[in-house]
Amino acid sequence: MANMAVSRIKREFKEVMRSEEIVQCSIKIELVNDSWTELRGEIAGPPDTPYEGGKFVLEIKVPETYPFNPPKVRFITRIWHPNISSVTGAICLDILKDNWAAAMTLRTVLLSLQALLAAAEPDDPQDAVVAYQFKDKYDLFLQTAKHWTNAYAGGPHTFPDCDSKIQRLKDMGIDEHDARAVLSKENWNLEKATECLFS
Amino acid sequence: MDSDIEMDLDSDNDGEYDDDYDYYNTGEDCDVERLDPKRADPEYFEYECLTVEDIEKLLNERVEKLNTILQITPSLAKVLLLEHQWNNLAVVEKYRQDANALLVTARIKPPTVAVTDSASTSAAAASAQLLRLGSCGYKTTASSPPQYRSQMCPVCASSQLGDKFYSLACGHSFCKDCWTIYFETQIFQGISTQIGCMAQMCNVRVPEDLVLTLVTRPVMRDKYQQFAFKDYVKSHPELRFCPGPNCQIIVQSSEISAKRAICKVCHTGFCFRCGMDYHAPTDCQVIKKWLTKCADDSETANYISAHTKDCPKCHICIEKNGGCNHMQCFNCKHDFCWMCLGDWKTHGSEYYECSRYKDNPNIANESVHVQAREALKKYLHYYERWENHSKSLKLEQQTIDRLRQRINSKVMNGSGTWIDWQYLFNAAALLAKCRYTLQYTYPYAYYMDGGSRKNLFEYQQAQLEAEIENLSWKIERAETSDLGDLENQMDIAEKRRTTLLKDFFPVDT
Repeated sequence: MANMAVSRIKREFKEVMRSEEIVQCSIKIELVNDSWTELRGEIAGPPDTPYEGGKFVLEIKVPETYPFNPPKVRFITRIWHPNISSVTGAICLDILKDNWAAAMTLRTVLLSLQALLAAAEPDDPQDAVVAYQFKDKYDLFLQTAKHWTNAYAGGPHTFPDCDSKIQRLKDMGIDEHDARAVLSKENWNLEKATECLFS
Repeated sequence: MDSDIEMDLDSDNDGEYDDDYDYYNTGEDCDVERLDPKRADPEYFEYECLTVEDIEKLLNERVEKLNTILQITPSLAKVLLLEHQWNNLAVVEKYRQDANALLVTARIKPPTVAVTDSASTSAAAASAQLLRLGSCGYKTTASSPPQYRSQMCPVCASSQLGDKFYSLACGHSFCKDCWTIYFETQIFQGISTQIGCMAQMCNVRVPEDLVLTLVTRPVMRDKYQQFAFKDYVKSHPELRFCPGPNCQIIVQSSEISAKRAICKVCHTGFCFRCGMDYHAPTDCQVIKKWLTKCADDSETANYISAHTKDCPKCHICIEKNGGCNHMQCFNCKHDFCWMCLGDWKTHGSEYYECSRYKDNPNIANESVHVQAREALKKYLHYYERWENHSKSLKLEQQTIDRLRQRINSKVMNGSGTWIDWQYLFNAAALLAKCRYTLQYTYPYAYYMDGGSRKNLFEYQQAQLEAEIENLSWKIERAETSDLGDLENQMDIAEKRRTTLLKDFFPVDT
């Protein structure tokens, strides 16, 4: 790996480790291998959002041409958010694509992602299904996002209604994750979800 | 006028120009069509085939002209011309109106101007600014004395002396090494004239001179210049790269229309506007749609239609391999919506209009399914005819070979000389020309909305089809039918073809 990429990453790693956010436990970063090409980030769900109380793990891959090309970042923890794919964890954020600038750092990336959780851009969606729910049925969106945060990121809010519906589908032999995804997509309408799964 | 065209015309209208008869000085009402080739032939097209050197000279002339008018560096002039399709007048006019706005839209200056520059809307101030931008280079001069004070580069995070730093009009300062590696990374990705500043949220463009000052590896410099040249040619509406394999020729014409240009070096014929095979009377967008549709059988085409779209501005093919529907073209930086291909800026919250179709694939599929059979039938109708003419054209060489054999045996048998039978080759060439046009009428008709216009077009098409069949039949039996009859048939077929094309290429009056 190019020298500059390594020296930059090392420096940025230290920057994150020394930052205030680390002290407040709102962001975290760790190495995955010794070559500094892959890191694991973690961000806390921002307060007053459906993600509050959750910890979201990120996969960060550093390209050879870093910092002249952006790092490749994706959510490992599953999340219900208009700008993040509920299936793959791919993120739609301008700074990770065309608006990346060589002067940005891992810390700015993590903080930008945290800001994205606090302020979704439903008009610029990654996941059209989630974005539709966000715009059309906001209350249901909040519930779904809290439920996902609880199920995958250790969030505090539980929804017995959701759990029982998932259980119903599980009883029919459906995988739990698939059941949750389909129910979320179908606005927790069990009938429609069943139809979608078995048609 | 280009000499190639003249030759072409002469061979088409055999004999007409060789007459000693003086058309121009007769008081008689002679055939107007013969006077002006532009009127006689709707496909008439004036163009020139130029080499890379010719084009470089031509572009440099424009750059120099702008330099002298606006007193700016060639590097800045290139950026301004690139942004304005090489229209010197437009640049000068915009400059006179609001020089500051011109610099901002060309991304030479950042949109929010520093306080000291606020008065620079006046032409004089802007001119002074342009001069400053151009003449003093890009060394950062903010801190004094800069060369002794050490500064930290925000990219490589190393401290260096001030004289190692460079910045653009936006003032974002980075060290020489970082700029250089950054430029090389961008050039490696094929980006040249669109390289931007490295700072966050800054879209100021890096002009050629800074790139060429810092990038010293000859390979990278060459690459940069090649890519930039391509950008320049592509942004110039009067220029078109010859699509022939490995052909370096660039065709120039002041008439920007979908007419046929033929490269004088590799003899590839193509549409001047889109660079594809010549396709009159179908227009550029339609033929592209048609060809993609026809290539549907191949997996590549399936993949292309499923995963890629063309940029609505520069028409480069874009593959969406993730991310949201807000696309920014890699090539021309145009922002658009992946779903509807509309401009993103005017898009706002209309996103849902775009996603609705995708959201309910079942509903959409159902209605499509019902129509599918009918649509397929319609498509096959046109496709069969298209394919048929395409095949006939491919067999043209065989037809000519057969013709040659037949003529040979005729000459051997003493019936006429080789020259006597030459008219048959002319007839065969005309047949090919008519077939070619006829072939391209089918995609046009396929995408045409129903109504009287379509009825008329299909009537004309049928007429041409019939005359072509007659011509083909008469060529096959040329030895037994008489010459006058065949020539008459040739004339009729060509007239039908021209009539059909006249609608597509409206003749200037």
